[in-house]
Amino acid sequence: MVWQLLLVAAIGAVAYIDRTAAFQLMLHRPLVVATAMGAVFGNAFAGAQVGAVLELLYLVRLPVGASTPPDDTGAAMFGGAAAAVASSSIGLDAGSFSAVLLLSVPCAETGKAVDRLVRRVNGRIAALTIESVERGDSQAVEHGLLAGVALFAISGTVLALSFSGLGLAAGKLLLPCFGPASKARFAVMLPLFPLIGAASVFSCTRTDRTAPAFYLTMWTVFAATLFFRWAG
Amino acid sequence: MGGLTHSVRRKVWWRLFLLQGCWNYEGMQNVGFAYGILPALRHYYRERPEDLIKSLKRNLEYFNTHPAMGGVILGATARIEERVASGEADPRAIGTFKVALMGSLGAIGDSYFWGALKPMASVAGAILSLIHPALGIAALLLLYNLSHVLVRLKGFAAGMDGEESAVRFLKEAGFTGRTEDRKILAAILGGAYAGVLSSKTAFMSGEGPSAVGFFIVALLAVHIVTVLFRKAVSPSEIMLFLLVIGTIFIWR
Repeated sequence: MVWQLLLVAAIGAVAYIDRTAAFQLMLHRPLVVATAMGAVFGNAFAGAQVGAVLELLYLVRLPVGASTPPDDTGAAMFGGAAAAVASSSIGLDAGSFSAVLLLSVPCAETGKAVDRLVRRVNGRIAALTIESVERGDSQAVEHGLLAGVALFAISGTVLALSFSGLGLAAGKLLLPCFGPASKARFAVMLPLFPLIGAASVFSCTRTDRTAPAFYLTMWTVFAATLFFRWAG
Repeated sequence: MGGLTHSVRRKVWWRLFLLQGCWNYEGMQNVGFAYGILPALRHYYRERPEDLIKSLKRNLEYFNTHPAMGGVILGATARIEERVASGEADPRAIGTFKVALMGSLGAIGDSYFWGALKPMASVAGAILSLIHPALGIAALLLLYNLSHVLVRLKGFAAGMDGEESAVRFLKEAGFTGRTEDRKILAAILGGAYAGVLSSKTAFMSGEGPSAVGFFIVALLAVHIVTVLFRKAVSPSEIMLFLLVIGTIFIWR
């Protein structure tokens, strides 16, 4: 349990630093984070299943200028942990899968609010840095930057622990309360989520030439599947 | 290669990765930019602490661009600072140069990295993760970072060779064409992803007309969601709507 907490804290710090403060090597992407969280809590494959859907869902919201997109890293922390503990030996059932994806949305919005708060506190750090430089202290720039990165790391660690804790609670306590009928109702929605993800990819890459490419490929894949089923 | 030693150049390049370390709404990447250029400034003004502070204040002004494109501006600014330190250039040239480039490079970087490369890498990762999660993660990280780290490396090197070299790099890199290519690739992969998953569900619901009917519904669903996104509806709002619908169904 202690090792799991330490691992979650480390994954959280690295992912949230990578998200904004440093490197941007895509270590914070939902596919990576949800798989890692799944691995920590015993089922990397269930985590990856959820991560793959979350990976595309929020792409349409670009981190351009001062806009802050929903925190898909936080959603993946929640989703990966919940999926790992809610899955059985045959994997994650469709009803629980849908429920985990839907319940991860408040985490994405909470993470976004925390991100904005951190950026506002950074404004104070930047102002103090400028004041110190004006007094002749050139090292203040290094201290200011370190404080900013530390703030992103600390908030990331806290968010990771909170979201994974909520994910564990949802997977262990909430999802088992749903009966087969409730799960079947949630399962109906499952095919919608990859389609929302695909629409998100299409929307953020949309140009005059990408629309035919997207729809023609989708049709071709279906037609090919239809043909092979008919032939075979 | 300017008056900078190899070790100072390397320090500046590594610090470039922390450009957004103290991102804030007022100065945006100002502290990160000053942090990045600081080793070069300490080298140029090592005998003149007052000029170092003046120069740092110049570089703590508002700055915002795409983080991967920051290297071009950082490298070129370091070269202008070198000329300012030797009295060959006006210090005001630095602000003018940064303001002139940061907006356009930000737009190019946002369009290429966020609008084309990231969706392409993400959808490739999502598709390959259906085979094995490790394959998906490897594809996502490799596809994105090969281009990302290369642009950071080459952009910084071009900037360090001077403003003209920076402009030549931007011209030769052909970001417009590359953006278009990756957008098309992302759209094809996105279409394949939607096609595979909707076909799977369509044939689970039945054969023949029933499967075709389901597939047409899936196509319509993608189109409706795309229209909603164009009308600035966020994915969270759509998901929250579905959560409410799901909760109502459970209570019924």
